[in-house]
Amino acid sequence: MLTINNLVKHRGTDKILSGISFKARPGRVTGFLGPNGAGKSSTLRILLGLDHATSGSALINGKPFAELHNPLTTVGAALDGFGAHRMRTGRAHLRWIARAAGLSRSRVEEVLEIVGLTNAAGKRVGSYSLGMGKRLGMAAALLGDPQILVLDEPVNGLDPEGIRWIRTFLRERAQSGNTVLLSSHLMGELAETVDDVVIIHHGKVVADGTLEEVIGNHSTLEEAFFALTSEHAGDVV
Amino acid sequence: MRALNAELSKLFSLPGIWLAFLIGALAPAVIAALDSIVEKEDIIAGVSTRLAEIGYSGLGFGVQGVIILGVLSVSSEYLTESSESGGGQQITTSLTVVPSRPHFLMAKAGAVTVTSILLCMVAMMTTVSATHLILGEYAPAFEASRLIGVVCYWTFTALLAFGITVLTKNGIIPLTVLIINSSVISFSFLLSKITKLAFYLPDRAGIEMFMSFNDESNAIFNRFHTPFTAGLVMLVWVAVFFIVAVIVFHRRDVAA
Repeated sequence: MLTINNLVKHRGTDKILSGISFKARPGRVTGFLGPNGAGKSSTLRILLGLDHATSGSALINGKPFAELHNPLTTVGAALDGFGAHRMRTGRAHLRWIARAAGLSRSRVEEVLEIVGLTNAAGKRVGSYSLGMGKRLGMAAALLGDPQILVLDEPVNGLDPEGIRWIRTFLRERAQSGNTVLLSSHLMGELAETVDDVVIIHHGKVVADGTLEEVIGNHSTLEEAFFALTSEHAGDVV
Repeated sequence: MRALNAELSKLFSLPGIWLAFLIGALAPAVIAALDSIVEKEDIIAGVSTRLAEIGYSGLGFGVQGVIILGVLSVSSEYLTESSESGGGQQITTSLTVVPSRPHFLMAKAGAVTVTSILLCMVAMMTTVSATHLILGEYAPAFEASRLIGVVCYWTFTALLAFGITVLTKNGIIPLTVLIINSSVISFSFLLSKITKLAFYLPDRAGIEMFMSFNDESNAIFNRFHTPFTAGLVMLVWVAVFFIVAVIVFHRRDVAA
């Protein structure tokens, strides 16, 4: 369970987040939506302990990220970019992560197999395509077989096969009781993957509910999104 | 321990580190060999004034290897990926694996320390071998106390480079300043002509852990600290930089 409670973030005079609250529940895929600059990445970075909140809290199973004993086995995260040094090979990257979390080398080979990167594991990360880099980030997130996945734009740059794989994979994770939180701006894709939707705009939550609730009277999620995030947005659903 | 293990694994899988190893392990031996060749006749005749420095000047120069090591260990975390890949940095991965920032920095500093000590020992072996190869029975005896001084000098310098790079996040500035300072012009050496306080700068104090300073004709080369106090002075610098680095790193947003 991920609990974001009245999260506020100021950077200098900029208000990035002004009181965001929502939950991502076990057994469900929660889609986190918003235009560029709405505060999606900031929220995820605070959740993962990378940035400090000005006030409010972001808890993972009731604890802040920094208090998790071995975070990799609780929450797997893939944020923007590959999160890897370009001169290292994909396998070497996963191996140092595995060492830090006390996981075996054979687990590295397992996740490489899961994300379909075994053949490219010996190549330097700098030579990876966007899709391969995304798969590497996904492999790192899966290393500790965590109950919670936090993914920033996971399907960005993937080919149709990759997108289908991610969708099926995330649905399966959720069905076996895991929590999945993912941000995306590919509306059509998201509508086929998520159970719950949170939409933020200008650092505020403008919609929070099940996919059906958020779509409401609109014909598609995309319609609902534009209705909610246009400058004359209505009230919270 | 796991975090230290991971940091060592990171260091050794980074190709740039091999440049540090190459410079650290071979440059002192090459300089010691050249020194020995130049001084050989004087040494055999027993009139060399530089016998006590043979090998040590090379070891002083080879510290550049661990400067690269200290800088790269931190700057590699902040190397930004290409914009089409999303402009990420490895530091995000590192901090989602080891969430305690002081713990993370300690592990990294530990890896830099261990690697510096090992590299310095390799450098001493190549340097001693080089002098013996050229000077044979006339090769100076290397005293353990001075060699320990060299190990401390290398390790402390690597940690200083490490601490400074945590503050700058970028490797270019610390690398340029520290490399120039240890090879072309020593700023503390220039300053020491103006004020005695310069003897308390880390690099100037640090070399007194192993250099002999027996040139009585030039006051600047005179010994100012004992090797032990020299080590203490440098250690205080390392501690100050490390504490400031931990505080800044702890407060700083990764996105900032």
